[in-house]
Amino acid sequence: MKAITVKELTKKYKEHVAVDHLSFEVEEGELFAFLGENGAGKSTTINILCTILEKNAGDIEILGHELGREDDKIRDDIGIVFQNSVLDAKLTVKENLYTRGAYYGLTKKQIAEQLAPFMKGFELEEIWNRKYEKLSGGQRRRVDIVRALIHNPRILFLDEPTTGLDPKSRKLVWDYIEYLRKEKHITIFLTTHYMEETKDANHVLIMDKGKCIAAGTPSELKSRFTSSKLIWYTDKGEKAEKILEGLDFTYDADHYNVLMPENGENITEFLYRNKESITDYEIIKGTMDDVFLNLTGKELSESL
Amino acid sequence: MNKFIGLTKRNLLIFFKDKQSVIFSLMTSIIVFVLYLLFLRGTFVDAIQSAMKEAPGLADLVQDKDVEMYANLTLLVGILGSALITVPFNCLTVVVRDKENKVDYDILSTPIRRWQVILSYFTAAVISAVIMTGIILTVGLLLLRTQGDLYMGAKEIAQAYGIVALGSFSATALFMIVVLFFKSSSACGAFFSMVSAAAGFVIGAYIPISQFSDGVQTVCNIFPACQVTILLRNALLSALLQHMDTAIGGLDNGMFVESIKETFSFDASLFGKNYGMSSMIIYVAAFMVLCVAVMIFVYGKTYKKK
Repeated sequence: MKAITVKELTKKYKEHVAVDHLSFEVEEGELFAFLGENGAGKSTTINILCTILEKNAGDIEILGHELGREDDKIRDDIGIVFQNSVLDAKLTVKENLYTRGAYYGLTKKQIAEQLAPFMKGFELEEIWNRKYEKLSGGQRRRVDIVRALIHNPRILFLDEPTTGLDPKSRKLVWDYIEYLRKEKHITIFLTTHYMEETKDANHVLIMDKGKCIAAGTPSELKSRFTSSKLIWYTDKGEKAEKILEGLDFTYDADHYNVLMPENGENITEFLYRNKESITDYEIIKGTMDDVFLNLTGKELSESL
Repeated sequence: MNKFIGLTKRNLLIFFKDKQSVIFSLMTSIIVFVLYLLFLRGTFVDAIQSAMKEAPGLADLVQDKDVEMYANLTLLVGILGSALITVPFNCLTVVVRDKENKVDYDILSTPIRRWQVILSYFTAAVISAVIMTGIILTVGLLLLRTQGDLYMGAKEIAQAYGIVALGSFSATALFMIVVLFFKSSSACGAFFSMVSAAAGFVIGAYIPISQFSDGVQTVCNIFPACQVTILLRNALLSALLQHMDTAIGGLDNGMFVESIKETFSFDASLFGKNYGMSSMIIYVAAFMVLCVAVMIFVYGKTYKKK
C-alpha cells in the first residue's frame, strides 16, 4: 500500500512558486528522504502533507485518505517532528506530553501506556519532571520525537530531526528511528542536512526551487549522478600525467584525484591497462553529497 | 471533548506556570493599590466629606468607619476592574506566541477542530480571569470584613461574582479579536503596556469618570470593562450607601447618597444620557455576543490555511 501519493502538487505564495508540480510516491514502511537547500520547498511540502497549509493544485492521498476531504483521518495517522521545537518551554516534559496526548483524544491511562516504552528507551525518566526549557538540545529533540509518536501514528514526518544534536543524541535518535521503521513498520518521511543519514533510505527525492530534480534509491542516484574517484598515490611528474592524459585529474599533496569519463573507460579497465605504473591507489565511491553537488552545484551544508 | 479540554488545559498551564506573566497581568491592579496607599484614599475620602457638606449635621450621622469602608471598597472595585482587563489580555498573548513560534502548526496538525482551537484559547482566558479576579474578590472581601461591616448580603455577594464572570467573558471576547491581528509577541507586549496604562483611567480607578467631560465619559463607557466596573461598584457599594442613607434618616432627602453616586459614577453615561444596571448588563452582554461573532469571522480569515 502507498503511504503517500502526491500528484502535481503546486503551492504558490502570491507570485512565488514554492512547490511546482511535484509528484512522488512513498511506500508504507519505508524511509523516504527529502533533500534540498533551504527554500527548496521541503517544509512547505511537509506542511501541506500534514494538513497545515492548503495546496493550490494537485492531488494528495495519505494512507488512502484524500487530503482536503478527509483531513481528520489523516491527522490521526501522522506525527511530525518540526524543524524548531513546538513544545512549551515553561511546562515539564510530563505536562507537555500529557497535554499533547489529549489533543488526540487519549485518556491519561492511554497516554501512560503509550509513553511506557519511551521512558527507558528514550531516557525520559530522568527528565520527566524537568521543565522543557531546562533540557539540553538532545533531550529536547528526544521529547519532540516522543511527542510526535504519542498517538501511535503510521507515518512520521521528521523535518531535520538531528540538526544541532551532539553525536550521541544523533545516534540515539537514529537508533530509535530504525527501530520504528523495522519493528513497528512506521513510514518515515525525512528531511535532513546530513547526507549520511540518507544512506539507508529506501528512496531519496531531491528538490530544487520547488521542483523534483532527481529521485530514486541512493545507489541509483549515486550511479546516475556520481562517478567513482581514483586516488593514485605517486609523485607529481610528467610521466604520471602522461598516463592520465585525457582524464579529469588534480594533484593534492601526495596523490592524484582522478575522475573517469562518463562514457569512456571504467576504473577497473584503466587500472588493469596501467597495472605496471599504478600500484598504490584507492577507489572512492561517489557519495550522496556528490549526488547533491552534481545536481545543484552546491554542497548541502553550504545552504544551511 | 477530551481534545478541547486538553488544549484548554495546556493554555491555562502556560499562563499559570509563568509566574512573571501572572504578576504582570496584575500590574495595573498593583499600581492602583500603591496609588491608593499614597493618595487615592485621601481623594476618595475628601470627595465623600465634600458631599457631606450638602446638608448640615451629616458629618455627625455618617460614621467615619463607613466612610473608610467606602474608600476601601472603591479600591477593591478599581483593582477588580483593572484585573478584568489585564488578566484576560495577558492570558491571550499565548495566541500570538503560538503563531510566532509556529506552535499553532503543531496544534493544526492534530485532529482538534479549528473552532475548538479558538474556543480553547477563549475558554482558558475566561477561566484565568474568573480564577484571578474571583480570588481577588474573595480575599478582598474577607480582608475588608476584618476591618468592619460591609453591610452586604448573599445577594450582593453573588451579584459581584456574577459580574466578575460577565466581565471576564466580555473582556476576553473583545481582546480575542485584538490578538488575532498581532503577528509578533513584541508588538503584542507593547500594546499590552498601553492597555495596562490606559486601563486604570478608562475604568475610573484613579479618577472617577464623572470628573471627565461628557465626550470622554462616553468613550470610556463604550468599553464594556468600564460598565462592568460600574456594575461592580453598584454591587459592592450599594448596601453600604443604603446603610449610610438609613443612618442619615431622611434628613437630606437622599441627597448625600445621590451626590456620592453621581460623583463616583454609579450609572453609565453615554452621549450625555445615564443608564442603570439592567441597561448596562444588556449592553455588556450584547457587546460580548457581537465580539464573539466578529471573533469567529476574524479567526476564519486569519487562521485560514494559507
